Amino acid sequence: MARSVAIVGVGQTHHSRRRTDVSQAGLVREAVDRALLDAKLTIEDIDSVVVATGPVLFAAVNQPEKWVVDAIGASQKPLVRITSGGGTGLAGALAGYYQIAGGLAERVLVVAYDKLSEGALQYSISTLYDPFWGREFAVGIMGFSAAYWRARMDILGHTEEAAAMVAVKNRRNAMQNPYAHVKKAVTVEDVLNSRPLAWPIKLLDVPPISDGAAAVVLSSEQQAARSTDRPAWIRGMGYFCEADNAAARSLLVSEPLALAARRIYRSAGITNPRRQFDVVEVQEPYTCFELSYYESLGLCAPGEAAELIRSGATQADGDIPVNPSGGCAGANPIGAAGLIRLIEGAAQVMGKAAGIQIPNAKLALVQSGGGWANLRGIAVLEA
Amino acid sequence: MRRASRGQHEGASFYELGTQHMHTSRVAVIASAQTELRAAWHSAQHIDLISAVVTDVFKGTGLTLDDVDFVIDSGSDVLDGRSISNCGFLGAMGAHHKEESRVEEDGLWAAVYGTTKILAGAASVGLIIAYSKPSESDVNVFYSSQVEPFYQRPVGFDHRAASGIQAQRYLAEHKVTPADLARLVARRWSDAERFGRVPMARVPTEQDVLASPNVAAPLRTLMMSRPVDGAVAVLLANDGIARRVARTPVWVTGMGSAADRHSFAARKSGALEACGSAARAAFKHGGWKKPTAALAEVSASCAVTELMVLEEIGLVPRGRGLELLGDKGSTVNRSGGALPADPIMATGLARLAEASRQLMWPDLYDLKAPASAVVHGAGGVGMQTHCVVTLEV
Repeated sequence: MARSVAIVGVGQTHHSRRRTDVSQAGLVREAVDRALLDAKLTIEDIDSVVVATGPVLFAAVNQPEKWVVDAIGASQKPLVRITSGGGTGLAGALAGYYQIAGGLAERVLVVAYDKLSEGALQYSISTLYDPFWGREFAVGIMGFSAAYWRARMDILGHTEEAAAMVAVKNRRNAMQNPYAHVKKAVTVEDVLNSRPLAWPIKLLDVPPISDGAAAVVLSSEQQAARSTDRPAWIRGMGYFCEADNAAARSLLVSEPLALAARRIYRSAGITNPRRQFDVVEVQEPYTCFELSYYESLGLCAPGEAAELIRSGATQADGDIPVNPSGGCAGANPIGAAGLIRLIEGAAQVMGKAAGIQIPNAKLALVQSGGGWANLRGIAVLEA
Repeated sequence: MRRASRGQHEGASFYELGTQHMHTSRVAVIASAQTELRAAWHSAQHIDLISAVVTDVFKGTGLTLDDVDFVIDSGSDVLDGRSISNCGFLGAMGAHHKEESRVEEDGLWAAVYGTTKILAGAASVGLIIAYSKPSESDVNVFYSSQVEPFYQRPVGFDHRAASGIQAQRYLAEHKVTPADLARLVARRWSDAERFGRVPMARVPTEQDVLASPNVAAPLRTLMMSRPVDGAVAVLLANDGIARRVARTPVWVTGMGSAADRHSFAARKSGALEACGSAARAAFKHGGWKKPTAALAEVSASCAVTELMVLEEIGLVPRGRGLELLGDKGSTVNRSGGALPADPIMATGLARLAEASRQLMWPDLYDLKAPASAVVHGAGGVGMQTHCVVTLEV
């Protein structure tokens, strides 16, 4: 029998543009302390540690898990680092999940962080592309994303106005999130009039760049009760990829995300995601991606995302709230962002999301991803 | 045989238990593939090395890429000179539209991850890949950039300094001489040439080792592990598939890993404490009362740490690692091990592949029906992290 796995403790830092008061190790320690406290455990109770960060070029320390291990207090414990671009937080949690499900551990601490103030972000991302043919024209991640949004605009109706509504929603939600780094309400007009960076992507379509860390304690069923009487059970989790940056990629609908949703929904018994999920947390690197995810995740049919955001259904008081935490628009320490989405989803079903709690949330959908929009994962959490 | 499922299998498997992926009590290495480990693969890019092993690994199994449920890979953004470097190699790895994860640690950790995924009943067949092209990179930067940036990096502390300190202490404490180390190194290179398919102009003699340039006294260049280019792929499968597909399924029975403190000064002097922790965890997991493996394939940063690893695993008492060069005890590093060929990030997975081949085809390695093996991988400056796996046939 496969072993059930639950999230029994969560912690994150108060994210900000630049944390000059702590090193990467200090940042990690803050999140770890909070997660362990939340789980009513100490590091002695942890069998294994998974560290997830964005690409090492983001912060110029190679294999940084070997440095921050001292701050975590994990000497003589299993330690491994998972990297998967922006979605690395969820990919790290997935590795921890399998350590427990596969019987190798009872409790796993998953730590994800990025200290983006210490590196050159878009330069680092540019090295993602093939050194022989890719880097000649591909710079950063924005131009690429803009081109595909432009295509979706024509074919799927993902207009600038619809994306602006995502910015308005997420930035307003972030104002209620104590950990968010950007707390400023904007209007649709503000977004549409903000400076184009790579049209149609404009300044207010883009999340901040943050320093931040997040940690979760995963537990086997046998050990979960010691931490909480209302854990967030992981009913399914997976992380799929699409190979190579070929011209053949559609990118109208995210194929790896649609694949992840199909597989995980089936294993978790989800047949009508719009109706069944109480809350959704997605990692939206730009506003246009959230529209695309609505469709890839089956919250609406392809071509209906603009109508979904316009209807108000994804607002915090709508029938399918998306990013009540504010999502990446509130804070974006990239390597931690996927784990923060998992934390926000878990906090909702555990009933401890405080000021951003969706009433009676029992089933949460979490999405995360990275790479050149080709690595995509989801998790289904249930109280 | 029934094709491994391409359908629902990820996640908690609540619905598909007993339907598609059988829950399994054990996982086996059913096949492996490895490129030649060369000082430099000038004629091949990363994707060429990866494609070669991903093509080869299925030979003789009756399985194809369609049967693979997931890919877990190891490589280094720093060595590859590109961020999220797995993205560029997904096609070569055969990962398109499959579950994929990058473990940025030696490939033996990727194999452990893959094993847990199959043990959880979430998948039946997993492809584990590790590769390295240090010839295109700067190995000194690879290690020095791992060092704590505020206090240690400015003084130039790196893997060479760490190895030198470890070696001085070991030699002084256990009355081992540089000539003893040279004997070990010459033996490993000779085995690598004979059994490990490591191409070399000629096998270095003990005199060559002692005469090679100084790196960090008392260590000479040839006493350090030699970075090489190469790729390794290992196919893991659950019990049912392994028994039908593999000529000799090599069961992964125990897994353990551990990290030591980052601060080199804070580590237990004269020991590789995390190696001992990892080995004990693996033996406990595998139900081994004693570390009495018929053969061992271990990683090393230098000749001295290879001896220390063998001692920490418990194959021989502390300070007596050189005794394993004789005919008694476990057969160690018949492939040559990491000293003649260290495809950084793939070295531990190469040890798993080598040990599996030795258990499957002992005749090719002048071995007499070995039944068990202990496999070791490591990472970090001064071997900070260790992973140990036990294999049985």
